[in-house]
Amino acid sequence: MKRHELFVRLLTKAAWVHKGRALMALLSVGVMAAMTTVVLTIHYGVEAKLNHEFRNFGGNAIATARNGVLTEKDLMLAHRTAGNMAIVPVVYAVARTSTGESVVLGGADLHDLKELNSWWTIKSVDASGSTGVEALIGSKTAKRLLQNGEPLTVMFRDKTLTLRPSAVFHSGSDDDSRIYVDLAQFITLTGVSPGSAYLRIAGSPEEIQIETERLSMAWTGVEIKPVRQIIAAQTVVLGKTKTIVLYVSVVVIVLIMLCMAATQTSSVLERRTDFAVMKALGASNAGVNLLFAGEAALISLAGGILGFMVGAGFSYWIGEVNFSDALLPPPALLLPVLLGSVVMALVASTAPLRLLYQIQPASILKGE
Amino acid sequence: MFTRLLFESFRRHARPKALVLLVLTLGMSICTAMFSIATDVGDKMSQDLRTSSGANLIITPEEDNIEVNVGGIDLKPAKEGKVISESDLPGIKRIFWGHNILGFAPFLSGWRTFTVNGQAIQGTLTGTYFNQPVQYGEESFVTGVQQINKFWKVVGEWPSDGGKSVLVGADIASRTRLHVGDKIVIKTSKADVSLTISGILNSGNAEDQAIVAPLHLVQQILEQPGAVQKVLVSALTKPEDAFARQDPSQLSGAALEKWSCSPYANSIAYQIQELLPGTSVEQIRQVEQNQGRVLSRISLLMLLLALATLAASTLAIFAIVAATMIQRRHTIGLLKSLGGGNGAVASLFLSEAALLGVAGGAAGFGLGAVLAWRLGQIVFGSTISIHPVIFIIVLCTAVMVAFAGSAGAIRKAMHVDPAIVLRGAV
Repeated sequence: MKRHELFVRLLTKAAWVHKGRALMALLSVGVMAAMTTVVLTIHYGVEAKLNHEFRNFGGNAIATARNGVLTEKDLMLAHRTAGNMAIVPVVYAVARTSTGESVVLGGADLHDLKELNSWWTIKSVDASGSTGVEALIGSKTAKRLLQNGEPLTVMFRDKTLTLRPSAVFHSGSDDDSRIYVDLAQFITLTGVSPGSAYLRIAGSPEEIQIETERLSMAWTGVEIKPVRQIIAAQTVVLGKTKTIVLYVSVVVIVLIMLCMAATQTSSVLERRTDFAVMKALGASNAGVNLLFAGEAALISLAGGILGFMVGAGFSYWIGEVNFSDALLPPPALLLPVLLGSVVMALVASTAPLRLLYQIQPASILKGE
Repeated sequence: MFTRLLFESFRRHARPKALVLLVLTLGMSICTAMFSIATDVGDKMSQDLRTSSGANLIITPEEDNIEVNVGGIDLKPAKEGKVISESDLPGIKRIFWGHNILGFAPFLSGWRTFTVNGQAIQGTLTGTYFNQPVQYGEESFVTGVQQINKFWKVVGEWPSDGGKSVLVGADIASRTRLHVGDKIVIKTSKADVSLTISGILNSGNAEDQAIVAPLHLVQQILEQPGAVQKVLVSALTKPEDAFARQDPSQLSGAALEKWSCSPYANSIAYQIQELLPGTSVEQIRQVEQNQGRVLSRISLLMLLLALATLAASTLAIFAIVAATMIQRRHTIGLLKSLGGGNGAVASLFLSEAALLGVAGGAAGFGLGAVLAWRLGQIVFGSTISIHPVIFIIVLCTAVMVAFAGSAGAIRKAMHVDPAIVLRGAV
């Protein structure tokens, strides 16, 4: 039998004969690799997921035309400059109801407005019998004006508009005292065009800042201001979450590595009889080292791959449960996880051999 | 005899026992740290959000007509709308959840003409507390926009609540070329009031188009002593769930008590409204609803991570306990050959596992508590509170894992004939 064939046979036989021990080593490396994959996936993925959550906060910047009117050309330019951005032009005027009461009338694309303000609680109104233009009614206005079921009419200067309330919304803001109609209907009634628009820029606070600056440079004649309250909340949440996930990752990885190292070291020390037999039969220190290291490398490689797959599954599940969206490890993470597993296993399994070299094989074989 | 056997087992097999104890301690410390963070991260983050992103409740007078407000400017004549009495406000701190009220800022606004360097400009004059000491009962505290709106940026100095200095919104300042140190004159029915600009305000809100002055000064100028139009309140709240959305008027005694004793934004609003009749207290839903959702996501993320850690630690501990117990089959064989029954042998080994579980669980809890405390200090600058129930969970988990790791190995070893084991044939 050739030397390398003997080496391979020793390697495979050792794992086969002591299946329980090999499985334990595989399990400990697999658990370490799985946990490392989970915490690193969360660390790298949590920012994007939370940034997505902040889309629900509504507009995070306001664009205001310096000359008071946002034209179609302006809006097209904004869409071209920042493709992945919601733009909802909004305009207000004070109209009067049929009873002579003042009410703020807003003009906007109603679908875009509802989508932008996703925290609004919207209740549909059965207005099948009513005629007129569709209107979204704020809860306070609805409480006052919609109680007697009569058609709702608003007047601006000498023009009148009959409204068909399609829904009543509750926003917890000044909007609850307003009525929104489609922008085109608003312009027909009042002759006033929008001078400002809510923008929802996707990304982290830094990306929003960069995008705002880029947009300001391209969109001359329009001033863009971030909504500081929302950006401040996003900055705090992201900063704290990333920091806590980073520290948690370090703690979990270090402790789980220590668990794995303890298990591996104990496994090698249990095999001191094998070590003594090899030494007694004339094996060199390098040969014994190579054999133990080879076994550890093989098991840790298998454990690392298995652990990465299990960790990816766990991350996917966490993403689905928490963010309703898959959270998967980037493929580039596989290499560091495998390398880490192999290096840790090599260190943990070869370090105790130094202790065994100090003992005579005969003493071990005698059970002293 | 049983105690002696137990004691000798620990003395003679100190190394494998120490290894099991080490792995149990490490595994349980991760679980303790993760569960402590998962249970407390929501509160900690909520506290940070409240100080950085402003108020989450708004108090307004119960109006009998519709509010006419565009861009933060009330378009109704100042005296037409109802107002809240400023003297009632310190009472907010007396509600059941008074300690959760981090601060409040009252506002009173009116449309005015200002004269600057001989030029007349029109704009909103807003009065508020900047950093106002407030007395309620025996206690006192400081509140105002400096406390609750940390996102307001001021270039220059914040005005004092008792002085005649004001902030000028960034928009109005750039439009009219106003600078720090300039004087603004406002005509009143009695005499002209001269104000000094101490800072330029960048709030990202409607106040960027206003002149923001101390509340008492604005009450004097608008001739509305003791009146405020709205109050913004910053309160520490619990993320909203289905129970929080219940209508308190529909709840029975016990359910209403439970609802009131939970710091939901709704229940705090309800208590303030009971204290201030004639007002409407509402969540600022854009802030409260969305932050609640984000905080719930983060808490759940930490909890899922803690569960993943618990599963991983359990597997790692199980592997090492099972491996150590398999090596004890010779001891099992010897005990059985000396007349020990299966029950006696099993109880000895399970007692060992229980002792290791309790010791590992307790040590792991201690180490995990230190780790959580340190993480709290680093990330939030305050300690993470560790719920006593985590100690019980960790201890039970450690004992159960030690039992599970031992039980399989003992069961396997018991099926082996003692004579064969002692001959070393297995």
